[in-house]
Amino acid sequence: MIATFLLLAFLQIKVPDAAQVLGPPQGTPLAGAQLERRTMELSSELRCPVCQGLAIGDSPSIMAANMREQARELLARGYTREQVLSYFEKSYGQFVLLKPKFQGVNALVWLLPVLVLAIGFVIVVTKAKKLEQAPVHAAKATTPAAVVEDDPYLAQVRELVEKS
Amino acid sequence: MNRTVLIVGIVIVAAIVFVLFAGLGKDPAHIDSPLIGRPAPPFALKAVGTGETIDLEALRGKPVVINFWATWCGPCYEEHPTLVANARNLQPEVQFIGVVFNDTDDKIMRFLAERGSAYPTLLDANGKTAIAYGVGGVPETFFLNPKGTIVAKFEGPLTTEALQSELAKAMR
Repeated sequence: MIATFLLLAFLQIKVPDAAQVLGPPQGTPLAGAQLERRTMELSSELRCPVCQGLAIGDSPSIMAANMREQARELLARGYTREQVLSYFEKSYGQFVLLKPKFQGVNALVWLLPVLVLAIGFVIVVTKAKKLEQAPVHAAKATTPAAVVEDDPYLAQVRELVEKS
Repeated sequence: MNRTVLIVGIVIVAAIVFVLFAGLGKDPAHIDSPLIGRPAPPFALKAVGTGETIDLEALRGKPVVINFWATWCGPCYEEHPTLVANARNLQPEVQFIGVVFNDTDDKIMRFLAERGSAYPTLLDANGKTAIAYGVGGVPETFFLNPKGTIVAKFEGPLTTEALQSELAKAMR
């Protein structure tokens, strides 16, 4: 990290810094295996802008590699997950978040499945209730007595059986 | 009951068809930039060839065209003559800057020697400047007004018509 800053100072170059956008880090600087694990987790939450629906963690593109490196550097400096996501969102918009926020039109992504499930539940319950009632009506309509009285052929058969 | 199921089915299918149809006309590579109307992220990068440091903040006071490109990008070859020709016509009233990311000095030098150059080309070695500008793919061009605010972003190879149309927004 120090070597990078010294190199940038030597080259007299200045790249856009997260501190200008996010302010000071609100977390603890990470290192080692913990840094790698958190970088991997974050990489699965950010969309690769040059791929079709791939996370930067799954993309072999140069842009995704740059973004992974940027995320790793920010985590190493003590920026929190929310701050890092916010940094990328400020540049790319909500497009870059693979898990859309619960706001605006995006809220439909969360609400519609629940709504469809609720409609399905109502349909199933209504159908089940009607099925419960259906056999009673059927039974009433086809009582043997009614059939016997109405069917002369069956009455004839019964008469023959009784005679025999 | 069958009628209810039919109506619900039609509504669901109509919603799916509507969403898919609305998406048909969209460019999947297009990203609405949240940076439009915001101050351009500042940077100072070394120019390839001259080694001069170009500081964006020092260019306040005139419109700036920042073109992100790379030698490995096919459409960048296509738009390069347009950028060079317009830069020759419009500079110094308008400042053009090329920012190349994930590339090497020698490849960039060869590209410029073969195809001409009319403005500084800066090397964004680790892509941080491209990320700060929300660059999805190259080429992408940003138009800054004299106050340093991003007023427009163009994705893909520029034509003279497109360049002048976007630049007009930076002149207002």
